Amino acid sequence: MKNIFAKMGSDSLRQWLPLTTLLILVCIVGVMQPVFLQPSTLLQLASDTAVLFILATGVTFVIMLGGIDLSIQSMASFASVIVALTVARLGFGAFVLAVAIGGVVGLLSGLAHVKLKVPSFIATLATGGVLFSAALVTSKERSITLGEVERSYLTWITGQVWVVPNVIWVGIVVLAIAHVLQAHTRFGRYSAAIGAGEPAAYASGVKVDRQKVLAYILSAGFAALAGVILAGRLASGSPTLAAELLLPSIAAVVVGGTAITGGVGSIWRTLVGALIISVVRIGMTFLGVNIFAQNIVFGAVLIGAVAITIDRSKIPIVK
Amino acid sequence: MTTPIEQITKRQPQPKRIRRWRVATWAPLMVLVLLCIIVTFINPNFLSFGNLVRITQSAMIPLVLGIGATFIVLMGSIDLSVEGVVTLSAVILSMLVLNGANSNNLGVLAVPIVLFIGSAVGFINGLVHVRLKVPSFMTTLGTWFIALGAANALLGGMSTRINDPFIRGLAVVRFMGFPWGVWLALFCLLLALIIQNYTRLGRYIYALGGGEDLAALSGISTFTVRIATFTLAGAFYAVGGILAAAQLGLGNAQIGTGWLFTTITAVVVGGTSLAGGQGGVLQTLVGVLIVGVLSNGMVLMGVPSSVQIGVQGLMIIAAVALSIDRKLNRIVK
Repeated sequence: MKNIFAKMGSDSLRQWLPLTTLLILVCIVGVMQPVFLQPSTLLQLASDTAVLFILATGVTFVIMLGGIDLSIQSMASFASVIVALTVARLGFGAFVLAVAIGGVVGLLSGLAHVKLKVPSFIATLATGGVLFSAALVTSKERSITLGEVERSYLTWITGQVWVVPNVIWVGIVVLAIAHVLQAHTRFGRYSAAIGAGEPAAYASGVKVDRQKVLAYILSAGFAALAGVILAGRLASGSPTLAAELLLPSIAAVVVGGTAITGGVGSIWRTLVGALIISVVRIGMTFLGVNIFAQNIVFGAVLIGAVAITIDRSKIPIVK
Repeated sequence: MTTPIEQITKRQPQPKRIRRWRVATWAPLMVLVLLCIIVTFINPNFLSFGNLVRITQSAMIPLVLGIGATFIVLMGSIDLSVEGVVTLSAVILSMLVLNGANSNNLGVLAVPIVLFIGSAVGFINGLVHVRLKVPSFMTTLGTWFIALGAANALLGGMSTRINDPFIRGLAVVRFMGFPWGVWLALFCLLLALIIQNYTRLGRYIYALGGGEDLAALSGISTFTVRIATFTLAGAFYAVGGILAAAQLGLGNAQIGTGWLFTTITAVVVGGTSLAGGQGGVLQTLVGVLIVGVLSNGMVLMGVPSSVQIGVQGLMIIAAVALSIDRKLNRIVK
């Protein structure tokens, strides 16, 4: 216990900076637009954050290892196409199928990275292209809108229990599962160890390759789940449905305080990061910033957050 | 005149390396020739002059972009901002020349302005990368979307028709059968070859890719080289943006879509190593032609164009996997 407190003390600024930022942002936006602090708006904010959070959660596992997954947006879009194409025939099985395909894709890109020794950003850039291609071909390059009958299968996404939309419940379940995986399993510890120092982890007998492949499976699986949720919320599937989500997701992970160099981070931080991104987005909309121009802010936020959180001692030569 | 003794002393330091180089250098070219033969067998039209022009036309933009990216990859870095810079420069060009949206009519004068903007984005890439010590793929991922956002903000969701005869002429007017754009791309290739082989910057780029710590110890200012290289790459992407705008006749926010992928495929397939220090602009030319001939062949065979991105993705993985030196049992992240 003592150790933990000592660590918190030394790292306290870095640890609490994201949460403080979030609270300050909420206050600023709340003062500007008092409507923002009403429970219904906050619930809306939370449900809008859910998809981003699920995507970011998946990629957190990979970033913890010191890698990156650039294929998540293509995976999510592909999953939405799968759901849209099969939900009429398979019913709820369509959602399972989409997530399962996500797992298989993650397995493949993980193997490409680990076995062929292709750097992760290039391997996932490539699998992202393959997935985009697959989504274009299966959807015949159009957006598929779901009919009335098919929409009846979507109530677990669109409906609500008590006053809380189901999307938020899904988000909470994802948070719980991911947190347990990351903080209370051997896989989570090993991931952190690999991220902190791969040669040391390898020398201690950690099966590095297996943990890495597992992380990519989780990343693609969660990305597919995010695509399923997105398809449910928009009642459609299209090869470009999640096209604008890659940058915000990675930004969410990094803004939350997970270092791009790996080893440091948690799912809670990603949650805070995703909320920051959402609040910033809403704040910009209130301020009247053009929706297309918001990418400028996210790009700058990403670079700034990476610059703050990165552990430079791990990369003597920055390339 | 070099005496035999001088030749020996020159060659002596790394005799083995030269031999290995040769195989690595020729493999992509053999793939290209093989590919041409196969496609010709399937469809003899492949060798017609019209089809040749078509291939060069589709290869001119990836060539210019690939040249810029080659310099970055040679340093062992990566540049993901290609699409952002292409879009931003195409959009700005379309708004400065005679167009359907505003009353600007700068004509040829717009070209240096666009080149300056492309270089400026590259300069920012380099500056942020070396000053803040942010890895290049993160920096350029950020600037990719910053540039894209800026282009979108300028356009406001519209697209601008280009009416300028000079810009349109790059894609339409032909010289010796080939559009002027192709000649411009070849000029860029020549320029890049000179920079790569006959300037200090070119040597330094190879030195950085081969071993940055050694380069720094030898007195090379790695910061300056990195910033200069990113700036140079930005200028080449701007040329790519000009060609893209000329080809489409429009400036819109989607004009850059897909180019990052083609560019990286071309560089990597040509044989430039992602680890840096090996490869060059001519390799990228071969890579661009491999990608171009393959997609041309697929069109001739009736394969839908949406499949091509997937094929390129697989090519990237295959090429990188084959080019990685397994003897260096390093950590891959």
